Amino acid sequence: MAFSLSVLAIFWLLCVACILRIFSLLPAQKSSGRVRVSNNTSTTRKLAVFLGSGGHTSEAIALLSSLDFTRFSPRIYIVSDGDNLSAQKARDLESKKCASSSGNNFAVLTIPRARRVHQSLFSIPLTAFWSLSRCMQLVTLSPLLSSSSSQPFADVLILNGPGTCLSLCIAVYVSKFIGCPAPRLIYVESFARVRSLSLSGKLLRPLVDRFVVQWPQPLADGGRGDSFGWLV
Amino acid sequence: MLVFVTVGSTRFDALVQAVLSDRVLAALSQAGCTAVVVQCGNSHFAHTHSIQNGETLNTQQQNVTIEMYKFKPSLDSDYERADMVISHAGSGTILDVLRLGKPLIVVPNPTLLDNHQEELATALEELGHLRSSTVPGLARTIEEFDRAAIVEFPPLDPSRFRRLLDEEMGF
Repeated sequence: MAFSLSVLAIFWLLCVACILRIFSLLPAQKSSGRVRVSNNTSTTRKLAVFLGSGGHTSEAIALLSSLDFTRFSPRIYIVSDGDNLSAQKARDLESKKCASSSGNNFAVLTIPRARRVHQSLFSIPLTAFWSLSRCMQLVTLSPLLSSSSSQPFADVLILNGPGTCLSLCIAVYVSKFIGCPAPRLIYVESFARVRSLSLSGKLLRPLVDRFVVQWPQPLADGGRGDSFGWLV
Repeated sequence: MLVFVTVGSTRFDALVQAVLSDRVLAALSQAGCTAVVVQCGNSHFAHTHSIQNGETLNTQQQNVTIEMYKFKPSLDSDYERADMVISHAGSGTILDVLRLGKPLIVVPNPTLLDNHQEELATALEELGHLRSSTVPGLARTIEEFDRAAIVEFPPLDPSRFRRLLDEEMGF
């Protein structure tokens, strides 16, 4: 009796510790995160971006086209399995931006989709789990196994939907949970969302370090986030 | 004058059918349009069968020559040669067309479940960058379209996102 009680107590203590740990990892909900002291003295930052197909990809490519690629290098483009169009758009952007410089410093990586279009509801947990495990391999495991294990898989990860980007966000949180270096998360809501947030926007809003929208109205609820006008 | 009509990557039966109606073609002809190119995707309409296997169909109606096809890898060349675009209200198409500085009429698809396409169309119409129309109101919107009243769409300002990310990364 006393034994089973102590097992139960330890179990509950572990649960509480996990929950407290997760809460400690969440970004401050009120501050916009504008003040950030970086101890990274390197002159370049490793950038990762998820290309979520269709309009998501177009907007992500437009966002990246704004950046100085001599600062953000190397660049990792993450695309869904079979999304050749997004992979091609990434290569087109690279050849456009780096036409003058020698040797492009980028990679295109694929992850399985969390949910395919028209997929039946009951099989979603299976594909979502498969997608998450591949994301964890990419985000959490590969930096641990590489020679420079103090380096995160990227310094910053840009997300703009749809669903599969939640898998990447969770994988980043797994890294944080076990105390490994993790990328800063930036979510940019679509230009199409004028009055309300998308489902991925709503889900990722409390989790990402920086939440950015392109029209002011979705922030009228007083929740966290910034609006700098149109970014694409 | 050449008008390009696009329904995007899926289908929009009502828009294609409306564009091929005598009423809309007469309005286009009246506005000086001599040719219409229609990217009709998987829409169902009278000539669906003749473009089933990727062919281009050429026909004429109301003194307007009509060219129809389902899909192309890139619509850039059609946007380029158009003097005006009539499209579904997808944000990607809207950005592509407005950035080229082409006059644009968008028709939000009422059969789509989420209505944020309509929100975007309305917001951009309020700013004067385009005209938004319903399917039944298309002929009237074409008749009333005033090119001079369109407010030029600003080019992409790369400094905004660049500043945000440089700041975030401590540059």
